[in-house]
Amino acid sequence: MTDAILQIENLTRQYPGFLLDHISFSIPKGSIMGLIGENGAGKSTTIKAALNLIKRDEGKVTFWGQDLSLSEGLKEDIGVVFDGINFYETLTPAKVGNISGAAYKQWDSSLYHNYLQRFQLPADKEIKNFSKGMKTKLCIAAALSHDPKLLILDEATSGLDPVIRDDILDVFLEFVQDENHSILMSSHISSDLEKIADYITFIHQGKVLFCKSKDELRYRYGIIHCKTEVFHTIDPSEILAFRKDDYQWNVLTSDKERARRKYKNAVIDDASIDDILLLYVKGVQQK
Amino acid sequence: MKSLILKDLYNIIHNSKSMLFILLFFAVVFLPSSGIQGYIYTCAILCSMMIVTTLSFDERSDWMSYALVMPVSRRDLAAGKYIVLFLFSSIGVLFGLIVGIIGSFIHKSVGLLPENLSEIPLPMAALTALAFSTVFGSISIPLTLKFGAEKGRILVFASFFIPVAICYIIYRLLAALGIAITGSSLAILLYCSPAAAIVWNYFMFQISCFILSKKEF
Repeated sequence: MTDAILQIENLTRQYPGFLLDHISFSIPKGSIMGLIGENGAGKSTTIKAALNLIKRDEGKVTFWGQDLSLSEGLKEDIGVVFDGINFYETLTPAKVGNISGAAYKQWDSSLYHNYLQRFQLPADKEIKNFSKGMKTKLCIAAALSHDPKLLILDEATSGLDPVIRDDILDVFLEFVQDENHSILMSSHISSDLEKIADYITFIHQGKVLFCKSKDELRYRYGIIHCKTEVFHTIDPSEILAFRKDDYQWNVLTSDKERARRKYKNAVIDDASIDDILLLYVKGVQQK
Repeated sequence: MKSLILKDLYNIIHNSKSMLFILLFFAVVFLPSSGIQGYIYTCAILCSMMIVTTLSFDERSDWMSYALVMPVSRRDLAAGKYIVLFLFSSIGVLFGLIVGIIGSFIHKSVGLLPENLSEIPLPMAALTALAFSTVFGSISIPLTLKFGAEKGRILVFASFFIPVAICYIIYRLLAALGIAITGSSLAILLYCSPAAAIVWNYFMFQISCFILSKKEF
């Protein structure tokens, strides 16, 4: 990918019982990259390693072509929202604004207060009285008010109701209207990514299984539902993963149109990101 | 750096009422027996201990991982804590001085305060209290960073008693050897304490930087 805002190459980190194994992907300007995978797949570890919060055993991470550890100033252009709020519960949004304002040169106080109003967050109420959704909105307001060019969201929408998630996703879509802006969004809620992501990177057991455009997944990937006799006639090179249910085989293929032409006795459906995730995680992957 | 200090001050202001109550309670209890000097030391050390509370708040809200995604370095994180420690100790000294002076007048008026409690002049007592409290507080920062607020809190108590115990043992050894610590040699030691505190704090700051450089969030 050209014009990459964030480039991750062979990012590796070994823990006892877990290996983040040579993760590579990049995020082009003006796009949203969805990082998907089951809990414990390595999404948060990837983000933390990219942000230098944990050490890497191997690999290179660059933001706008530069190493974050060598250019602290790059952090001015990066907004981060973690799962949960990182401010102590007795603080108020007004104080959070003062703290953040003192940290960032590019801090825009009026923009921050606009977000507080838009998200209906009372400026002088202590965070401990906020709901999970309000806390997330406060984190997003803080992350967006220093004019970042890259927004990194680590499970930011998890645990929120669909209405609040929808509000928040709209804010992210607005953010990427500027073609210099990009988002890296890790989530295990595939519907969120299906709604806004341009690219999907699927991490499973510490490895990248694929990094593809969402349109390619949507328009080309499919699920072949068939009986055992048909399953045995499927060319193994067309199978990405398969799983046997009680009455049928479910086969993930990367070319559903070809499958529709070839396997007339099978039902071939579009594959949602959830279907793809489930077949990769719970099914058998074809080598 | 400013944001780190501001955050700690905002966090601790919430606890200031209970600290104020404790300090006033100690004024009533200690001023008659220990004098203003003793009270200044008490206030400074108690206030310096609040640095552990700020680290505990940081741990509970996972603040440091967020701070590091802001334009803040790991060294800034350590430096911020030492500046806040200095501020807390200074506030303690100032509070002890003001309340101590007011309190001693009240005690004198009701005849509770003994005369000539201490020979240390008040400005020197304030300066040495600042030195001692930052020395004690500075040990707690790397300990808490390394072992976490929960274990660190227990170790912090140890860190307060160990220097006192060492000083006491040295004093007893010298006494056993027939070397008497006179008032003038004690005064020299006290006058040297601010310089020693600066060196000690710098040493502890470097240890804190090292711990933070290895820490993963």
